[in-house]
Amino acid sequence: MTTTTAPTTPAAPVGRRRRHGRPEPIAYLFLVPALLVFTAFVVVPALVGIFYSFTDYVGFGNWSFLGLRNYTALLGDPGIREAYGFTLGFAVVTVVVAQVIALVLAIGLSKRIRFAAGLRAIFVIPMVVSGIVVAYVFNYLFSNTLPAFATAVGLDPLSQSILGNPDLAWLAIVVVSAWQTIPGALLVYTAGLTSIPHDLYEASSLDGAGPWRQFRSITLPLIAGFVLINTILGIKGYLGVYDIIVGLTGGGPGNATSSVAMTIFGGFTGGDYAYQMANATVFFVITVLISVLQLVVSRGRNIRL
Amino acid sequence: MRSKTMAGPPRTVSRRSFLAGAAGVLAAVPLAGCATPGGGGGRTQITFYEQKQEVIAYFDELLRQFEREQPHIRVVHDSTTAIAPQFVRSEPGDVGCFNDNLELARYISRGQMSDLSQLPSAATVRTDISDLTDQYATYAGRTSVLPYSLAAAGVIYNKAIFAEHDLPVPTTWTEFVDVCTALQKAGVTPIYATDRDTWTLWQGLFDYSVGSLVDPGEFFGRMKELGTDVGPDSDVSFAKTLAVPMERAKTISSFFNPDHAVRGYADGNLAFGQGKAAMYLQGPWALSQIAMVDEDLEVGTFALPVSDDPDERQARVNIDLCLYIPVDTAHREEAVELVEFLMRPEILNAYNADNLAYSTLTDGPAQQDERLAGLQQYVDSAAFYQGAGTFVPTSIPLGNYLQEAIRSGNFEAMLDQLDADWRRLASREATV
Repeated sequence: MTTTTAPTTPAAPVGRRRRHGRPEPIAYLFLVPALLVFTAFVVVPALVGIFYSFTDYVGFGNWSFLGLRNYTALLGDPGIREAYGFTLGFAVVTVVVAQVIALVLAIGLSKRIRFAAGLRAIFVIPMVVSGIVVAYVFNYLFSNTLPAFATAVGLDPLSQSILGNPDLAWLAIVVVSAWQTIPGALLVYTAGLTSIPHDLYEASSLDGAGPWRQFRSITLPLIAGFVLINTILGIKGYLGVYDIIVGLTGGGPGNATSSVAMTIFGGFTGGDYAYQMANATVFFVITVLISVLQLVVSRGRNIRL
Repeated sequence: MRSKTMAGPPRTVSRRSFLAGAAGVLAAVPLAGCATPGGGGGRTQITFYEQKQEVIAYFDELLRQFEREQPHIRVVHDSTTAIAPQFVRSEPGDVGCFNDNLELARYISRGQMSDLSQLPSAATVRTDISDLTDQYATYAGRTSVLPYSLAAAGVIYNKAIFAEHDLPVPTTWTEFVDVCTALQKAGVTPIYATDRDTWTLWQGLFDYSVGSLVDPGEFFGRMKELGTDVGPDSDVSFAKTLAVPMERAKTISSFFNPDHAVRGYADGNLAFGQGKAAMYLQGPWALSQIAMVDEDLEVGTFALPVSDDPDERQARVNIDLCLYIPVDTAHREEAVELVEFLMRPEILNAYNADNLAYSTLTDGPAQQDERLAGLQQYVDSAAFYQGAGTFVPTSIPLGNYLQEAIRSGNFEAMLDQLDADWRRLASREATV
């Protein structure tokens, strides 16, 4: 984050550098381990993958160049298009749901209510449970508990599991993904809220501002940077949704909930390595574009991270 | 996760199990590296790759026996879940033992397996079984794998429920529908299905509906030849050739348990074990799971009749395990020793007798397990087929399509979709 913030305060770093001279050479040395690990395990494999996306490589043996054939085949693949549609829609809906709930919870917990510390601990629990475990537990709830409950109280539309309904299964994935990621966002918002000086609220209430006005004019602008971080991280995380879906629906019913990450991984066991590498490359570019777009929009509005 | 079993392994390996496996191998590398030069005291170390969960301990025992006979060879048993990393790293072990399926076929067709035709044991394998492996892939001039274990699957049925309602084991399609209707009238769930684990749909409903009507090996052989020409005007296509089988599948699916859409493989084993359904479209791998629920449950197996000629019934089989020696091995001599040891009739036959499977050798003994007795005749007379679903590359989500077809009842749309997918895969030569 720090590197991206630098341009928003252009004068400061230059001035500082001049005052203190060049940084100690040893500072660069500290970067080496992280750079080495990052390069070896992220950059190099990614470049190798991108390279093979232009071939017919299956993971072993001989291969030959195909040019852009994998990419043109991608465009004509309805399964892939559906996966992109589902994944993008899911990410947008989930990020909105999760951010709103997390912010409401954070504001509630920042007030001097009883058991705030205890409640905070409870709300954070979902974060420490592995995604696949969460998914299997919710799978049981959606398949057995919820239909039984709905039947008992006479809620007919819910008496069949929503996981078996192609029009509703995505809702279950939104619910579980939001449930699992709200705590992380909640913690960030809590940190954001504590950074707002209290006298601002006191002064505004003297001027007659009600809670809603305070929220709109003080809280929201001052935590805008945190909203941005949460949104970017959230979207990035939701775009890669995998384990929750595997545990809940396995991509079904039909292909209603197949995410891009699932189709990419399918190529690994399905002998479609190069083709899915092309898919992964496209997905990578889209993810980067979305993140850059978010940064540009936020910078235009003068939000600082 | 789901047990990775004889014939109907799930179509994906979970990322977690893969990473866990990869980590295991990475951890083992330094150890293996140490062992080869010094430790063994003149012993040659070879690696045996076998990952079928249920029999890892069984093979361990066999390997120790082999080491006692061949003190100069040490065998390391690699049981990593995924096979792909082995070949990706060009370290596929010295002897492999794996499910003969489309995944293995990719390595065979690309010449990763060495020729075993000169091995003495190669001549002892039933040719009608070794022909099956050629349906997936061949490499010119090579016997790439030796079939080790044949699994046969049919309809598992609850004998007590059939007796209670005085129902015969159906031998024709009409009888089968009658049995299902009678059960339904009596308030018994005729067939328990588990749509949530999509592999159970294609290995049961899809494969059984197709197999006795259309020979999958022949059909997919022609489909591969046609490639991008598959369509309404081609002599075979999913839409044309599988139309009748899918009518059968649609009828069968009308006898499923009402909550089939949200039930998984484990739910199915539990429910069937508790006697909540009369029939279950599963293979022998489910029998041990059912026995865990109720050891005394009397079950039998029959081949699903899908035509009105009883003689057309066939059993779904698959080569559950086959042996191969990768071309990359540095210890071919020792690898051959191990293969010859494992292929000995007394060892191979005992393995299959102990694991609800069938011997692949000429004059192999019958499977003695009562629960599988109904399939013996088909194995003996080679009245068998490899499931149609096993010929469909995993990049076509057949199981998911079936989920949707069962829900909507529109199997025709699924077949059209399969034709379109097939053409698209063929256009980038990905049908194997």
